[in-house]
Amino acid sequence: MSDDLALQVENLDVHYKDFQALWNVSLEVKRGEIVSIIGANGAGKSTLLNTISGLMVPTQGHITFFGKDIFGLSAHKNLAGGLSLVPEGRRVFSRLTVYENLVMGSYTPRARSGRDEALDRLYNLFPILKARSDQMADTLSGGEQQMLAIARALMSDPKMVLCDEVSLGLAPAVIKDIYKRLNQINDEGLTIVLVEQDIQRSLKAARHAYVMLEGKVVLEGDPSSLTEEEVKKAYFGI
Amino acid sequence: MGGTLQKTRWYILGLLVLVLSTVPLWGTEYVLLFCLLFCLYLAFSQMWNLLTGYSGLLALGQQSFIGISGYTVAVMCNYYAVNAWLAVLLGGIISVLLALFMSLFIFRMRGVYFGIGTWIFAETLMLWFSNWEYTKYGVGLFIKPPTPPSMTELYYAAFIVGVGSVVLVYLILRSKLGLGLMAMRDDDAVSETMGVEVFRSKLYCFLVAAFVTGIAAGVIYHFQVFIQPYRAFAIDWTVKLVFIVIIGGIGTIEGPILGAFIYILLSQTLSEYISLSMLILGVIAIIVILTAPKGIMGSLQEKMGFEILSPRRR
Amino acid sequence: MEELAQPILNGILLGGLYAIVAIGMSTMFGIVKLVNLAHGDLMILASFLCLSFMTWLGVSPLLSLFVVVPIMYFVGFFVQGYLINRVLGKEMEPPLLVAFGISIILQNLLLLIFTPDARTLETSLAIKTIPIADFLNIPVIYLIDFLLGLGSISALYFFFQRTYMGRAIRAASDDETAAQLMGVNTRNIYAKAMGIAMMTAAMAGVLIGMTFTFYPHTGPQYLIIAFGVVVIGGLGSMKGALAGGLILAIAQLLGAHFFGPGFQLFCGYVVLLVVLALRPQGIFGTI
Repeated sequence: MSDDLALQVENLDVHYKDFQALWNVSLEVKRGEIVSIIGANGAGKSTLLNTISGLMVPTQGHITFFGKDIFGLSAHKNLAGGLSLVPEGRRVFSRLTVYENLVMGSYTPRARSGRDEALDRLYNLFPILKARSDQMADTLSGGEQQMLAIARALMSDPKMVLCDEVSLGLAPAVIKDIYKRLNQINDEGLTIVLVEQDIQRSLKAARHAYVMLEGKVVLEGDPSSLTEEEVKKAYFGI
Repeated sequence: MGGTLQKTRWYILGLLVLVLSTVPLWGTEYVLLFCLLFCLYLAFSQMWNLLTGYSGLLALGQQSFIGISGYTVAVMCNYYAVNAWLAVLLGGIISVLLALFMSLFIFRMRGVYFGIGTWIFAETLMLWFSNWEYTKYGVGLFIKPPTPPSMTELYYAAFIVGVGSVVLVYLILRSKLGLGLMAMRDDDAVSETMGVEVFRSKLYCFLVAAFVTGIAAGVIYHFQVFIQPYRAFAIDWTVKLVFIVIIGGIGTIEGPILGAFIYILLSQTLSEYISLSMLILGVIAIIVILTAPKGIMGSLQEKMGFEILSPRRR
Repeated sequence: MEELAQPILNGILLGGLYAIVAIGMSTMFGIVKLVNLAHGDLMILASFLCLSFMTWLGVSPLLSLFVVVPIMYFVGFFVQGYLINRVLGKEMEPPLLVAFGISIILQNLLLLIFTPDARTLETSLAIKTIPIADFLNIPVIYLIDFLLGLGSISALYFFFQRTYMGRAIRAASDDETAAQLMGVNTRNIYAKAMGIAMMTAAMAGVLIGMTFTFYPHTGPQYLIIAFGVVVIGGLGSMKGALAGGLILAIAQLLGAHFFGPGFQLFCGYVVLLVVLALRPQGIFGTI
């Protein structure tokens, strides 16, 4: 297991009761990379992220995070270890203010001491959040909520962040804006895994890509070397 | 395997009914008492199960019907010299009317709000009857019908009510109403869109449960001969029914049968020590909910994949 | 008109007490979406604990709060953490029935240990009054109930708004999964929340014990009051609890004034049922 691997998933199987959602999934994320996982609805992308982050327990396989075995480790413990997830659908705390949402991001003891600096950093990265800091989170627009969800996930100064469909339901200009900032934080050294349905955007941002179909990885490679034909075939399963 | 297993189960049930029907002929006083109480508590708990286990109506106020039926019987017999059994029927009818009235208030509510609403109704009734001159305030009434029923008559009344309640629940669940109920149990909103009249179905069950509970209460009060607001409308009734059904198996028809048996056995054995028996009951119930939430019959059913009295169509 | 002043004043003061009776149950209802059917009995447990400490150590009820409150924290933590958390899930019945079971166990346990005799937490404050006008008195014990009740609720509000644990509890009740992603051990947080709810129940139990007589079976009576406060005032908010407490208490005391003492509880129940039928989410509630 090489030192520069942030995440290594090997032969992962995940079941929902009797239904098998993931079949023998393997992938690798190098430290400081942006990796994207694409696939249609139901391909298993969210299941994969939820399992890695600890919201779901896999049936078998291996998950190693910066050299540490995290198979079956619960989500709150994973966060303490530096693994953060921006969940599908944003899931901001609607009855808390923007400020309170962000502060919740620094809940773990490790993150509490760096809270004020983290807050400054993220207000700089997402100025709109500073402007709205006293508003209830459910009064924000979709794009603003997405930024809040991302900022919140970054408050704990994680080593890697998993982003589940951050572009869903957002206007192209907003998506562009968000991706710009994601690239910014990646430049500062954060490892990012992007899960998207939008092929173009996430391939453009990523160093390495995986295509999933019906719970399996069907194609992987450097996006610059994959042809559009190949990707489309794998995506749709033709 | 299913076929013969089913047949054996029907034979066992049939045997049970046969045995129960003949108890006055061969049973000792204790056994007769035991079976009488068993039948009546079986009726109460089948109804509770119908409401909470099948219809999703958390019933914490069945004692409203027990009390009001009991008082109807007392008043009719004492003040108007009504025949004992006619009074019981009237008790059932008054219970249904009360249920209709209650529904105006509580049927807007779901879950725990509904439950506590029914409980509060019972408490309100308790307060009313405790302060009502007509029913001798909190002192209570002795029930004196023109011709007091014999023990045998009482027993057969209880038997009919008890067995009848099981048959009734079985028939309801096998009917169209029952199918709707089971759909509702899984998901209210979805079944609403499928045209199942959620409100009507639940109301119907609520009324039926009130009626049968009222009838059983009438019989039990002829047996107990004395009624008092603090006991008649007490939450204790619900406590017993909850435990019977939880331990036996909520949402199964056989569950209350087993549960009622266990309860009567426990309460008769420890009849000297009421608090202790309630305490033990409480501890057993919690252990059962934590370890086998479907109760004894429910867990058995899951493990072995059978239901004796299966309302499911095959 | 003057003769209404006393019941109304008493109602306002008593309302503060009712608010603290309810707040623990209301908060937990908002967090885990369950009514703790044993809430009243746990309060009375605190009353009896206080009675025991008063007898053993010879201290006043308010002083024994220092011991009773921490004990009740652990009771709450245990009940939620080891019993109710185990059955939290899709179905609403199991946790409710566990709470019901605890209620019955507590009542009968207290009955066996302490006998059915009526009890109070003796304090000289119970009979003192402060005259304001010749038709108006302030019963000192009611005033203390009101002030301590108000103080506790303010402290609770501060806790939920300003501390990490308080915010974590609010976050977990808003979205359990998202809270877990923030590093919150949600099951553990629920247990802690229950512990805190039980601390308020301890305060309520001691105040009730000082103000009224209590028996092992008094619990459910206060559960209904708590429920009434929640129904009238709305769920989960501090001001809802205060508003609900005030309205319920005033309704009760006015009812007693006009119809007689036997109707005090009755009027409260009627108001509750009417609100339940007309505006079930209460004044400040948002179901």
